Amino acid sequence: MTLAIQLTVKRGAFTLELNHSLPLHGVTALFGRSGCGKTTLLRAIAGLDRHAKAQIRCNDVVWQQGNHFMPVHQRRIGMVFQHSSLLPHLTVLQNLLYGFKRRLKHSAVQLEPAQVISLLELESLLQLQPEQLSGGQRQRIALGRALLSQPELLLLDEPLASLDQQSRNEILSFLQRVANQTGIPMLLVSHQLDDVVKLADQLVLMQHGRIISQGPLPQQLLQPELAVISAMSLLYAQSHGCHNHLLQLSIGKQQLQLPAPLSNTGTQTAYRLRIQARDVALSLTPLTDSSVSNQLQVSISGFNNAPHPAETLVQLNLEGQPLQALLTKQSVERLGLQVGQQVYAQIKAVALD
Amino acid sequence: MMPELFVALSPQDWQAIRLTLKLCLYTTAILLLLATPLAWWLALRQSKLRTAIQAIVALPLVLPPTVLGFYLLLLLGPHGAIGSTLERLGVSHLAFSFSGILIGSVIYSLPFAVQPLLESFRRMGAGPLEVAATLGAGKLDQLFSVVLPLCRGGFIVAATLTFAHTLGEFGVILMLGGSIPGETQVLSVLIYDHTEAMNYAQAHQLSLGLLISAFVVLFIVYGLNRRFEREAVL
Repeated sequence: MTLAIQLTVKRGAFTLELNHSLPLHGVTALFGRSGCGKTTLLRAIAGLDRHAKAQIRCNDVVWQQGNHFMPVHQRRIGMVFQHSSLLPHLTVLQNLLYGFKRRLKHSAVQLEPAQVISLLELESLLQLQPEQLSGGQRQRIALGRALLSQPELLLLDEPLASLDQQSRNEILSFLQRVANQTGIPMLLVSHQLDDVVKLADQLVLMQHGRIISQGPLPQQLLQPELAVISAMSLLYAQSHGCHNHLLQLSIGKQQLQLPAPLSNTGTQTAYRLRIQARDVALSLTPLTDSSVSNQLQVSISGFNNAPHPAETLVQLNLEGQPLQALLTKQSVERLGLQVGQQVYAQIKAVALD
Repeated sequence: MMPELFVALSPQDWQAIRLTLKLCLYTTAILLLLATPLAWWLALRQSKLRTAIQAIVALPLVLPPTVLGFYLLLLLGPHGAIGSTLERLGVSHLAFSFSGILIGSVIYSLPFAVQPLLESFRRMGAGPLEVAATLGAGKLDQLFSVVLPLCRGGFIVAATLTFAHTLGEFGVILMLGGSIPGETQVLSVLIYDHTEAMNYAQAHQLSLGLLISAFVVLFIVYGLNRRFEREAVL
């Protein structure tokens, strides 16, 4: 799916100006600081706000152009809002079916209520009223309700922002499940890089009302604007099962072993590895007398400024995937590191998704 | 000495009761249709006109009914802008007619219909409607599946307050409609006439009736208000 957007919004001193084509598949994060125009863009895509200077096309369907404006209820979108959006006069089940019943007439059913209810584990909540639910449960139901409206695109407007950490993680894993099992493209607005890195495949970076870059998440993480917030890398690895509670992973020809997640069911074959740049050390030769057992052969592809003046971000190429290491400038000089050089990366900590 | 109660209601009394109920029902129905879009616009649209419109809607709260009645008489009477136009079109002018006092009551009770609706639309906010729209509900669908159930309290309070307020209307009707039996002689006017004619017993009977029904209606309104506030807190 491709969204072609031309949009100009002026509001006081703030100007949003875009002319972009966003290829959407999997989860695309719309990332930027508060006030950069993410939500404005999302609401324009949904049709919740009508701006005079806007042209929006979804694949071949024109959503807005000149005087033509397709109203929200005719766009095939599902939306999850930041705050609880359940209709308070309806039960959980009635909320879930609100969109399903209305879209039923116009489109083939791809997702049945029973499927969504089991996917999001909503069985025990169906007869409750919204006010009896926790924040996390409400967002889970809002997500299910959006899915049941048979959307071609899911728009998520900071769906985790009003939740506590535990509920955040819960909803994140449900969102992962939805992304993997339904294949519906998602556009996720967020200003939390941590959430984005757990979930997104692609990232659209916004700043001061403009899109300054877009592309696959691992490459986007090298952008200086993101490295300032949190220098980290995202690697995709294949799993080959467990041995002595250690997950056997491979990236290209190289092997890693990591403590298996306790909830591991052994069915997951692809993992996302989040690695902080400060948890990566470099050596010129493989270390044999170190406790760090995950040691990967990489080549240096570049250097970037780090937030701290004494440090440098070293960009590495690991079997075609980017990896970053945070070193002091002193270490870089002492080892004589240069672009193109083969080195060994010791990885001290990994978060698995 | 208190005048005696429970004299038989005269046919004139019954006629006034029927006329008053008719005026109240018509006013309430018309105002619900008018006040709903007006309150909606006031609650959810940002416009420079809003303050002016809000002030105009609230005018009947502060103006003496005689002022309102006076200007309506000028406008709707045989020499007024609207009245004379109607005459030219071969229709009778509206002073001293039921249609005239109906227009008067609609304007006079406007704030009582708009305020509770405005309040409940504001409490609901635009959020639930946006949610409904993203789930495939068009405007009319939103009105019936979201606005009516969520603002039920506001509608009930608006209707009862309008009804009760029209019941107690006197000044506007006297100015604009006079006291024509069966046409403009509503209960409040008839009570005035009875009193003028020293028929204290009949005046007392009708007054007590109005007093009790006004109390009952307000009791219901406040009861409902409490219930809906509790619902809103939940």
